[in-house]
Amino acid sequence: MHCTMEDLVAVRDGEGSTGARQHLEDCAACRAELDALYQRVAQLKALPALRPPRDRWDVVRAELVATQRRRRRWWGTMSLAAAAAVAGLIVFRPWSGGNTLHAELSQAKQRCSTLESALQQYDADGRVVSGRSAALAAQLEDRIAAVDGQLSQVSPATGGSRPPEAKLVDLWKQRATLMQQLYQVRVTRVSYVGL
Amino acid sequence: MTISLTVPDVLVARARTGDLEALEALYRAFETPVYNLARRILRTPEDAEDVLQETFLEVVKSIKHYRGEGHLWGWIRRIAASKALMRIRREQVRATEEFEEAATGGRPAAHVGTNIDLERALKQLTGTARAVVWLHDVEGYTHEEIAELMGKTVSFSKSQLARAHARLRRTLEPGLEGA
Repeated sequence: MHCTMEDLVAVRDGEGSTGARQHLEDCAACRAELDALYQRVAQLKALPALRPPRDRWDVVRAELVATQRRRRRWWGTMSLAAAAAVAGLIVFRPWSGGNTLHAELSQAKQRCSTLESALQQYDADGRVVSGRSAALAAQLEDRIAAVDGQLSQVSPATGGSRPPEAKLVDLWKQRATLMQQLYQVRVTRVSYVGL
Repeated sequence: MTISLTVPDVLVARARTGDLEALEALYRAFETPVYNLARRILRTPEDAEDVLQETFLEVVKSIKHYRGEGHLWGWIRRIAASKALMRIRREQVRATEEFEEAATGGRPAAHVGTNIDLERALKQLTGTARAVVWLHDVEGYTHEEIAELMGKTVSFSKSQLARAHARLRRTLEPGLEGA
């Protein structure tokens, strides 16, 4: 009985059975089939390279630039938030004595931190979002950046009608609310958050 | 196909930082082999172009994770093969649906000529058989690697390869029978 194509391919790949190899030694027809297999593969390898008819780099580049821009804006926001958190700790030293404001401040910061971690684990660039959701997310990121800007301005010397502690608590609460809305838009893809 | 697939390490290092010029240089170095791989595996030039684009979107996004283990072309080729195979799976689902529709309406059988060349013979194979024969016999993938890429067994890959060669042989040399 002649070799099957499975036998021939196995022999070519060095995995053929003893029976198949023995048969090939004795059978000129099967040896011719094995030669034809080698020739076919050589012809496949020799096929000319096909070149892409159109340049797709512009599309890839545009996507990459948009991604880099989103990342820069996001990390800019995060850096400001971190700076504001450090400033708050220096000013109020919550470890030196507790009161209601400190507790509220600590709670709002903790909430922001939890939401930031959740958002960092979520890969926004790998998801398809609607235009409405993308616009909402961008709007929320801008608002968070504005709050961060205000946070960086608050210091014991700020003055004004309210003590800086109360203002800081307000701002951190605002930030936590905005981050909660951003989380909803990004992760659960809600399209209305009251903006 | 003889295309140089070696790129300087410094270029890869720059690309990993998101440098646009370096990324474009990588695109220029690998666009033809990626397109060629996709075009040989897939049925239409449009599908192959889409795979080229998807592959490089993935490359520019993930190159920061490329640690330099193995040849860069091996890493890019794996992404391209994976994207092309994903498309074959989608094509198979669509083909099954079309077949089910055609079962009631009737479709003309594909004409198999007697004087077709190797490229046309390749196109006559199923998407999976074409992918296996190209990845194994031309690109040098092992059956284990193909099985992993396809989410199938090694024996599935071996069987597809044998079936692909049997079909190629019949198409290219219709007068020969046996073996």
